[in-house]
Amino acid sequence: MNSAPPSPAAPVRTPTDWQSPAMQRRIRHRYAAERRFRWLGLGAVSLSAAFLVFLLATMIGQGANGFLETRIALPIDLRAAKVDVPPARLAGPGGDLALAGAGLEGAVDAAANAAFPQQGGAAVLSDGAWLRVRDAVKRDPSLLSRPATIDVPVATDIDVALKGDGTPESEAIVSALRPRLSKGLNLSFFSGADATDPTRAGIWGALKGSLFTMLVTLALAFPVGVLSALYLEEYAPRNRWTDLIEVSINNLAAVPSIIFGLLGLAVFLNTFHMPRSAALVGGLTLALMTMPVIVIAGRNAIKGVPPSIRDAARGLGASPIQVVFHHVLPLALPGILTGTIIGMARALGETAPLLMIGMRAFIAAPPDKLTDPATALPVQIFLWSDEVAKGFVEKTSAAIIVLLAFLLAMNGIAIYLRNRFETRW
Amino acid sequence: MTSNSAPKMTASRVNVFYGDKQAIRDVSIDVRQEDVTAFIGPSGCGKSTFLRTLNRMNDTIAGARVEGDIRLDGEDIYARAMDVVQLRARVGMVFQKPNPFPKSIFENVAYGPRIHGLARSKADLAQIVERSLVRAGLWGEVKDRLHDSGTALSGGQQQRLCIARAIAVDPEVILMDEPCSALDPIATARIEELIHELRGRYAIVIVTHNMQQAARVSQRTAFFHLGQLVEYGDTSDIFTNPREERTKDYITGRYG
Ligand SMILES: Nc1ncnc2c1ncn2[C@@H]1O[C@H](COP(=O)(O)OP(=O)(O)OP(=O)(O)O)[C@@H](O)[C@H]1O
Ligand SMILES: [Mg+2]
Repeated sequence: MNSAPPSPAAPVRTPTDWQSPAMQRRIRHRYAAERRFRWLGLGAVSLSAAFLVFLLATMIGQGANGFLETRIALPIDLRAAKVDVPPARLAGPGGDLALAGAGLEGAVDAAANAAFPQQGGAAVLSDGAWLRVRDAVKRDPSLLSRPATIDVPVATDIDVALKGDGTPESEAIVSALRPRLSKGLNLSFFSGADATDPTRAGIWGALKGSLFTMLVTLALAFPVGVLSALYLEEYAPRNRWTDLIEVSINNLAAVPSIIFGLLGLAVFLNTFHMPRSAALVGGLTLALMTMPVIVIAGRNAIKGVPPSIRDAARGLGASPIQVVFHHVLPLALPGILTGTIIGMARALGETAPLLMIGMRAFIAAPPDKLTDPATALPVQIFLWSDEVAKGFVEKTSAAIIVLLAFLLAMNGIAIYLRNRFETRW
Repeated sequence: MTSNSAPKMTASRVNVFYGDKQAIRDVSIDVRQEDVTAFIGPSGCGKSTFLRTLNRMNDTIAGARVEGDIRLDGEDIYARAMDVVQLRARVGMVFQKPNPFPKSIFENVAYGPRIHGLARSKADLAQIVERSLVRAGLWGEVKDRLHDSGTALSGGQQQRLCIARAIAVDPEVILMDEPCSALDPIATARIEELIHELRGRYAIVIVTHNMQQAARVSQRTAFFHLGQLVEYGDTSDIFTNPREERTKDYITGRYG
């Protein structure tokens, strides 16, 4: 007999046996699951790292030659060739014109014809070889009055042959001229723009075009994106309209980029008659594409700011705009910057919309203004990869390396900024 | 001054709604300058809601609606002409969970005076910060590390920092919503001491779940139940001799 019956709420339960086989099995399963998950994660990371290494290795392997040029030692006597320009005229801005007028190009061709007649004479030299002589003379006017030997770039077929991918004829020329040939860093690749001759083609034009385009994109997309995000999160009432706007923005972020290109074409070129092929229009078009990404990332970052911070500021009598700019924005900035990096990186690599607004034209001079005709790095890569001339293969890889370096620099700056603004709690 | 002087804040026939739900029903209360007023009552009875009507913090809650008449020194705080920003500077607030800004201790306290332009110079600002920290009983502990982050302090220190931050703008009324609920007994005792010291200089309203605390720190106590004000009077009367059965049940721990 039990004088105090157990209360009906407390069910009778046997003590847990932590040593039972079932329990042990559960523990083993748990450890196995942990291990499996770790291996899976490690595998995923290694796979992506391997892809990256493979990409970089091929690009650098192929592209390294793109940064080099083959030069030939050209003996030349400009006094004998009667290229005569008074030193006073050389220094001024008219120097280039004076040397061209004095027949420098002919003299260089003649010197080549005299130096290696069997191998094709002037045909061995790159089209731009005489420009190298011109620059050398401008640096050292005494070259006009004495015989000298100047390294000038060779024609594409010779260059390609020396790098191991030439025709039999050019191979023969290379072996005959071998002692005169040398390799050097192709500085004009970093200072020139597109050209029909791969030895003269440079990346600076496209790099500057990309730089201008990105500046326009950033200048438009960042403030507009951040302000929209702030407005939608902090000020806008929650109603059907804001829901609609939210859905539209999310959809906009997923629209294929070529559509933005068409939009840019229709709006900026056909309606507003902005200049075709300009970095300004490219930047505006890419900004349309980048903005939704920044808005979405920005809203998430702003949502992540603890409400207690807003209350604290409001409770002290901070006005809504002070709450936003003194507290919410600084705390959300790292997240906003991350979103901006992602958006900008995507914009930098974007080709299709730029093709639509005419940035695919052959442009032989780097842009000086936002409205100058320009091209951009990914478009340049696309154009060069389409070229038949052999020398463009390595130029394409070299351009890809430049694009990746640009991307890396951009991300580096963004990460630096993010770490600077990171708040420690 | 006697307790017959004009009250600092008067609330009459206040109703608060969250959407269709009524959280406060017909509450009228006077808050006196020289007293500490305690709000007690079971969880969810509307103490925080009512407290927030006193500095219009309910304005920021979507769907919240306040009816009735609330006055600060006779001035209708829900009137069109009332500037909310200034009102909140005059009626400061300390929250249940310590919420210092993720900035330095100095910046935390200096923020309010800075946005309201209360300091004439840098030295003046430093003085305000020091005075506020001294009043909040935190100065001795932090005077050598004013430039460390306010979030690196202990919970009790953080709450005193929040009090210092609130008094730095020199408010007329301070509202405290369960300021000690996240603190241990020693830190709680420290804050209660602080409330004693601040009494008289500011009108203080404190929400608390702790009956002893209400009895210790307040002169007036209001008991809320289900959104209604059941009883309001001198703390000694409420605790020794409640008029209402519900009050008696609550303070003797029969529910809550
Ligand atoms: N933001 C809100 N939206 C909708 N209803 C709310 C909101 N805040 C509070 N309420 C409701 O209003 C009533 C009163 O809440 P309040 O926070 O004022 O209670 P309280 O007395 O402070 O309780 P506690 O002691 O637990 O803090 C509750 O029923 C609560 O559910
Ligand atoms: Mg509450």
